Amino acid sequence: MIVAASLRALGRRRGRTALALAGIAVSAALLLDMTMLASGLTRSFGDLLGVSGYALRVTPKGILPFDSEAGIPGGDAVGERIARVPGVKSVAPVLGAQFRVVRGDSAGPPLFTMGIRPGAQFLYRLVEGSEPGPGEVVVSEPMSRLDGIRVGSTLQLAGGAGVSLGRRDARTVRVSGVGDFLYDYAEQRSLAMPIGQVQRATGRPGEVSLFGVAAADGVDGDDLARRIAAAVPEVSTLSTRELMREMDRRLLYFRQLATILGSIAMVVTALLISTIVTIGVRERFGEIATLRAIGVARGRILLAVVTEGLVLAAAGCVAGLPLGLWMARRLDRILLSFPGIPARMTFFAWEAERVALAMGLVIAIGGLAGCIPGLAAVRSPLSQALREEAE
Amino acid sequence: MTDEPGRVIEARGIIKEYPYQGDAVRALRGVDVDVSAGEMVAVVGPSGCGKSSLLNVLAGIDPPTRGTVRLLGDDLYGLDEGARSRLRLRRVGFIFQRFHLLAVLSAAENVELPMAEAGVPKRERRDRARELLDYVGLGHRTAHRPPHLSGGEQQRVAIARALANRPEVIFADEPTGELDRRTGAEIIDLFARLNRQGTTLVVVTHDAKVAESAPRVVEMADGLVVGSGVRP
Ligand SMILES: Nc1ncnc2c1ncn2[C@@H]1O[C@H](COP(=O)(O)OP(=O)(O)OP(=O)(O)O)[C@@H](O)[C@H]1O
Ligand SMILES: [Mg+2]
Repeated sequence: MIVAASLRALGRRRGRTALALAGIAVSAALLLDMTMLASGLTRSFGDLLGVSGYALRVTPKGILPFDSEAGIPGGDAVGERIARVPGVKSVAPVLGAQFRVVRGDSAGPPLFTMGIRPGAQFLYRLVEGSEPGPGEVVVSEPMSRLDGIRVGSTLQLAGGAGVSLGRRDARTVRVSGVGDFLYDYAEQRSLAMPIGQVQRATGRPGEVSLFGVAAADGVDGDDLARRIAAAVPEVSTLSTRELMREMDRRLLYFRQLATILGSIAMVVTALLISTIVTIGVRERFGEIATLRAIGVARGRILLAVVTEGLVLAAAGCVAGLPLGLWMARRLDRILLSFPGIPARMTFFAWEAERVALAMGLVIAIGGLAGCIPGLAAVRSPLSQALREEAE
Repeated sequence: MTDEPGRVIEARGIIKEYPYQGDAVRALRGVDVDVSAGEMVAVVGPSGCGKSSLLNVLAGIDPPTRGTVRLLGDDLYGLDEGARSRLRLRRVGFIFQRFHLLAVLSAAENVELPMAEAGVPKRERRDRARELLDYVGLGHRTAHRPPHLSGGEQQRVAIARALANRPEVIFADEPTGELDRRTGAEIIDLFARLNRQGTTLVVVTHDAKVAESAPRVVEMADGLVVGSGVRP
């Protein structure tokens, strides 16, 4: 009954309670977003690595995928050695280069172009047409859409040193298919063609930028990475887990930001709740002193006050959850529009546990914040409290 | 210390000091009081002589600096805080100058509250609250909240609340202090009726009317009991 009275008192002070709730909802939303941000990017990066089935990456010694122009010399031979390691199901070589589309006398902007082995590649999924044969390319879906390129179209491509020479160096290729490129950022134009063609056009025979390696069923990625590293020691072999760990290291900055902002949100929540509950308790100081005098147990009074904090926090969560999800979506869109970030990634991971963690934190903060005025109310000497209210 | 049958309060050598700016204010300087079952005692004296301090010590609200109090057979300050609190809830009634009902609860709910805290089943406490409000003459206002009641009506609700758990003794500190003369007289009548029906009452007051209505008066001055008389 005294708990009900306490909550009714919150309801009576409607305007003030609503304002406090709005504040709690905003900080709960911020806390939620920061909790989601802390793990989102790494997680979705991991998902993205695994999605093609090629979970391992083999790169030049000490270099992460596409971190530099460096390639693996004699890559074709290295690829054959990797393929012979037990537990390897498939090896997908990739050679990165830049080509331009030439129209008349002018060359367009450089396009990210990947040499791949058709049928054993992890960079795109065909959405139309077929894998590229000799003299053929697959274009990314945005490129097809933005430049009006269709399966069967032809392009004039110039690569490497040939760019400055203009159309004389350009070769004609046929578009065999349109692909959904997994690692591209939003609206990126890119191309894929057989690796030999890229090696020849750029004068890098036998070179490979990196390999994707698919493990056979039931083979552990980390074990396989160790076996490949032993068999081919001149390259770096990275399992998904290691790549994610590396990603985590690079995103430390993001996690720190998330931790700081999240902590601020928690402090703000605690201050809001304890302030609003303290004001309510001060207003009912006489009532509370009288309750103690007539013999209502301290624990019960404390419970009533703490419940106010809990209910405020819980109501703040209810309002903060949709707000937080909406904010996460908006922020995600803004962050993903930064160039170089794969459009398939997300900065904010929707994980039930994380959401529950954030909401649990807010409610726990509510309880703790309620304890401060609650303890003050039941700890003050009773005769003094009775006197004060009479003043 | 004796434990005479029918003895409700037995206080010996009560000294009460309040710490004040590193010093001590001595509000009670050695008070002995006995109250027997069925008595109605008025405690009177000039402002600041220690009446409220004495009431708080006798009722188990505030421990004395020195001295002992037996209340309803228990060594009051030998009990721990929780036990003292339970004793107040179940066997003692309180009425204060400011009524301090819970503003968000109805009159009936305010009366039910101490019963709810004492674990009385819902149905029983609802019936009893209605009965008690009838008794204090507010049977028709049970659903009203205190802010919508007059001072006298609020004090009646407070009296009904004090009676909720059928206390053996009631302590009242200036129960008519905030009321006009006529309303105060009605409250005094209510006390006299309670006392006739067997409730022990200790009433602190400087209202001469209240003192007159009490069969026994304890007169205080400067932290001491200076006179105790039973009216013929
Ligand atoms: N908590 C306290 N701290 C310091 N001094 C106190 C405290 N409570 C009471 N006193 C002092 O003790 C003395 C007695 O106070 P008390 O309230 O018992 O008097 P009273 O007889 O009830 O007065 P009144 O008729 O004005 O209510 C006063 O001098 C008062 O200032
Ligand atoms: Mg007083």
